[in-house]
Amino acid sequence: MALLEMRNICKRFNTVIALDKVDFNLDQGEVVSLLGENGAGKTTLMKVLYGMVKPDEGEICFSGNRVTIDKPSAAIKLGIYMVHQHFMLMPAMTVVENIIVGEETGKGILLDKKEALDRVQSLIEEYNFDIDANAKVAGLSVGQCQRVELLKALYREADILILDEPTAVLTPTEVEELFAAVRKLKIAGKSIVIITHKLKETMAIADRVCVLRNGCMVEEDILPEHTCAAELSRLMVGRLVDLEVRHPAQQIGSVVLSANDISINYGQGNCLKHITLNVRAGEILGIAGVEGNGQSLLLRTLTGLESGEFIHIKLDGVEMKCSPKVFLSSGIGHIPEDRTTMGIVGDMSIKDNLILGYHRQKSFSLYGLRRDREIKSNAIQLVGKNAIKTDSIDTPVKSLSGGNQQKVMLARTFSQPLRALIIAQPTRGVDVGAMEYIHNQILSLRDQGVAILLVSADLDEVCTLSDRIAVIYEGEIVRECLPGELSKVELGLYMTGSSGKSAEK
Amino acid sequence: MDNIFAVILLATLRMATPLILTTTGAVFSVRAGVSEIGCEGMMIAGAFFGVLGSYLSGNAWVGVLVGVFFGMLFALLHGVLHVIFKVNQTISGMSVNLLAAAIAPLLIKLIWHTNSLTGNVASISSLEQSFLKEIPLIGGFLSQLNLFFYLAILFAVSGWFYIFKTKSGLRMRTVGENPLAASTLGINVIAYKLTGTAICGVLSGLGGVYLSLGQLSQYVDGMTAGRGYMAMVINTFGHYNPIGAIVGSLFFGFFDALQIIFQSSNIPSQFLMMLPYLVTLLVVVFGLKNTRQPAGVGKHHDA
Amino acid sequence: MGTQFNKLKSNPMIRKTGFSCFALFLSLLCGAVIIGYSGYSPINIYKVIFVDTLSSKSGIMLALSQATPLMFTGMAFAIAYKVKIINLGEEGQLHCGAMAAAIVGAYIPNLPHLPHVFMALVAGAVAGGMVGLLTGVLKIHFGASEIITSLLLNSIIVYITSYLCNGPLKPLDSSSPQTPFINESARLTRLVPKTQLTTAILIAIAIAVLLHLLMSKLTLGYEMKAVGLNLNAANVHGISIARIYLFTMILSSAIAGLCGSTLVLGVNGRYVEDISLNYGFAGISVAALASYEPLAVPITAIIFGILKAGAFTVDRTTNIPVELVSVVQAFVVVFIAAPKLTEFILGIFNNIPGMKQKTGGC
Repeated sequence: MALLEMRNICKRFNTVIALDKVDFNLDQGEVVSLLGENGAGKTTLMKVLYGMVKPDEGEICFSGNRVTIDKPSAAIKLGIYMVHQHFMLMPAMTVVENIIVGEETGKGILLDKKEALDRVQSLIEEYNFDIDANAKVAGLSVGQCQRVELLKALYREADILILDEPTAVLTPTEVEELFAAVRKLKIAGKSIVIITHKLKETMAIADRVCVLRNGCMVEEDILPEHTCAAELSRLMVGRLVDLEVRHPAQQIGSVVLSANDISINYGQGNCLKHITLNVRAGEILGIAGVEGNGQSLLLRTLTGLESGEFIHIKLDGVEMKCSPKVFLSSGIGHIPEDRTTMGIVGDMSIKDNLILGYHRQKSFSLYGLRRDREIKSNAIQLVGKNAIKTDSIDTPVKSLSGGNQQKVMLARTFSQPLRALIIAQPTRGVDVGAMEYIHNQILSLRDQGVAILLVSADLDEVCTLSDRIAVIYEGEIVRECLPGELSKVELGLYMTGSSGKSAEK
Repeated sequence: MDNIFAVILLATLRMATPLILTTTGAVFSVRAGVSEIGCEGMMIAGAFFGVLGSYLSGNAWVGVLVGVFFGMLFALLHGVLHVIFKVNQTISGMSVNLLAAAIAPLLIKLIWHTNSLTGNVASISSLEQSFLKEIPLIGGFLSQLNLFFYLAILFAVSGWFYIFKTKSGLRMRTVGENPLAASTLGINVIAYKLTGTAICGVLSGLGGVYLSLGQLSQYVDGMTAGRGYMAMVINTFGHYNPIGAIVGSLFFGFFDALQIIFQSSNIPSQFLMMLPYLVTLLVVVFGLKNTRQPAGVGKHHDA
Repeated sequence: MGTQFNKLKSNPMIRKTGFSCFALFLSLLCGAVIIGYSGYSPINIYKVIFVDTLSSKSGIMLALSQATPLMFTGMAFAIAYKVKIINLGEEGQLHCGAMAAAIVGAYIPNLPHLPHVFMALVAGAVAGGMVGLLTGVLKIHFGASEIITSLLLNSIIVYITSYLCNGPLKPLDSSSPQTPFINESARLTRLVPKTQLTTAILIAIAIAVLLHLLMSKLTLGYEMKAVGLNLNAANVHGISIARIYLFTMILSSAIAGLCGSTLVLGVNGRYVEDISLNYGFAGISVAALASYEPLAVPITAIIFGILKAGAFTVDRTTNIPVELVSVVQAFVVVFIAAPKLTEFILGIFNNIPGMKQKTGGC
């Protein structure tokens, strides 16, 4: 009998089905990898187990007995502990304090710091974690922070550990250290579930693999020795055959936008390493990659939001001053990756959102006065042309559907004379119909001679639209190729660090 | 000990007393992750309702309890508005300040029928008649201090002990640093935030009570004179630590005391009275560079 | 009927007005508790405050003249809040402006009426604006929280002006702290003789209109709106946050300074220590009730002006002090600031049987 059985778990968020009749089992002393793309449902499934999300249907059995887990403390009582993808640590406090809070040592109300230190120290030595227990967490490396999170679980004598994307921000060496720790835990009788999208790690550490896709458990009980990365990739993504129709660029001109050897390091995995990119007129350069590998930083750099001595961006060979105002008025359009926080001002009207960033142009502003008539006619024209569903141009943009909000953002930028376009996640949160329309618009811009840089976590989108593809992984461009040169599966391997440059490390 | 140093020291300690109390309260509030901007209002509540309590009961200590109670009540208004109704903490704190500043003169008029002063009530005097006088050398000095000063030190040290040496204090600090992480560890974030705010109200209220019942025996409109805001600065200056609060309060109390020292000199009184605020401003602009408050102040655990 | 009501409900202006009315109602309710405690009937007292005040000419004049300074401070707070800046330094900015106007008004001789008045008014606005400049610079270049600095500056400025009118600027023949009387040429004209109403109210309304035009017709106003509603998006789209903050802070404090000018150049004729009856902080309530819309501020200022004028009457004839108004004002800030709280209370009302009909149901 399995230690843990999850049966028929269903969960809906509004209209989206996150989990569809999912079964999941776990035995004692085994390492299971829960594999899937972003949004496949793996984190949601584990959040159900950890009491952070309430399932609509289904049950959980622990050692044969049905249990109800309605909050994390209930899960912790059963011996389940989850290490979240984003660290739940207090940087200003020490390692010991971070570990023991909630289950403190000491008699009565007093905190026994010495006993806490001893207990933590012995755990550190047992698992060979190499951390200074008295150090402040703020000064630790990402890998060390991870180990503090693991220690939290071990300190609470968890038997089942859930690790959510544990290697997302680790260097290869740190990943090895993590695996060594996981192996030790296994020998000690713990069961571990690793939520991940990284194939290389799955193959290296898991006893068993389960693949989720679109909320369904596609296959359980896959043994790594009986499969390969390519097969797992196919299960994750779902298609082997390239069905999308491509419209290759007809005329590619000279380099419009170039970034030369840009390196930035903000710590904790947030970095760019020697990025050199050239985008030509009339071509789409697609940046493929799993989110969190430096795309945000790359986008900020290419839109003037990052300034520094060593950042050199050139437009038509001329170096640009790094400010969003200069970039926008020089004809570098920007479609930000996060619509709500960066792309639109929710409480402002559609009419006003359609000039954001261009509001000081002569067509919209004369001697500092708003040109109401022109702003209005601009809005009416764009709303009509782009079929934005709304009763009036004065309604606040936040009351539009996600797809229509996206259309507003695109309409605004696409109606400007552009030399280059930096566009991120163009079809996120958008239905299929709008998706096709947006793609056509991007292609049409390209054919007019605009140099386009496309960043998307949707590999299909990148492959369909791009004339050239660059894969970003851990802040570096690890592979450049032409579409069709590599299959989606092979690209997926580069995206997850299982191939080429990174695999050789 | 009639020399000038004793006089200055005595004045400094007197002026520092309400600051120590209020700042310790502010430490609790910020450590629990809630802004301490309502301290001024809590002091006003303590000062006024303390006098009211003493007036109604005829007993100074009953007045103290009443003052402290109302300080806590006003603090909870701020706490509930911010923590439960998710109001911007600056606004909820300022509304407490506005309310307290409005209610005091209103009730003064209603009850005493005067504009801004209450009558004299039973108050807490210094410990002149106590055993302290017997202590050799410094006994005479120590006995001139008000009981509140000793209470202030006691509360500050206890506060330091609670926050840094107990389990509960560790949890409170966690709530202030990262309420989301605290909630994943099973800590009741709302309870700790409200408790921290309530304690701030109790101590700030006590600081206010000292001004009205300890130093004088009446309430004068405006007697808190922005000390609640000063406490905010001392709090940051003292790195959100009650011991730092004592040191900072002594520093600012010294400047507050200068106006008494130089009362008879040629320096216009306004400049002396202005000095503490000026010093505070300079500290805010130049002296707080490297202090970082707990990372979770103003954050909620579910958003 | 139902759909018409729902359409009304979704109109943002109607929603805001309804919300403000309900917050005012709740605040008056809290005031009623105090009135009841004092042994009077709240209905009677409020009748005196609102109805009686408005039915006599002197009552209306008093209400309007009490409303005028509130218009200025309310607009100052509102325009700053548009950019999500909380200007708590209005008292100090007001006193600074008042002193500047008092000096220009009294010490500059032999000027014709209009230029003199204009100069004195501008002096006040500039003086107030400089305080705002200081606050803004401290925030942008030193990272000093404007909440603390503006509060501290309040105290510092008031002590400086107190020194001035107690010492160097005090006329030799006066016994109380004040500056010399300003020249007649600097005085604001009274609109209605033998009342306190001066042209200041016209200036206030003009400023309300100008602020409204700024926000609706100027590109700068558009940028301010964007910064206040979504700082991040504004930054990404090339709007300079520092520039907008500095401009708004200066504008807000200049208006507060102008308020001080009108107080000195109007009825007072000179600077006195209690020139401001807490107008600075009362401005927060006025702005809150107006949903921080500059054009609506004169209206809410008049509402509070009526409340104040009526409270004066009530103060004379009953035991209830005029400070009742400050308490009601403080409650307004609480109820406006906590939409969830007000919705919660509204929800309680909704669930009372018989009340459901009134709110139109869904």
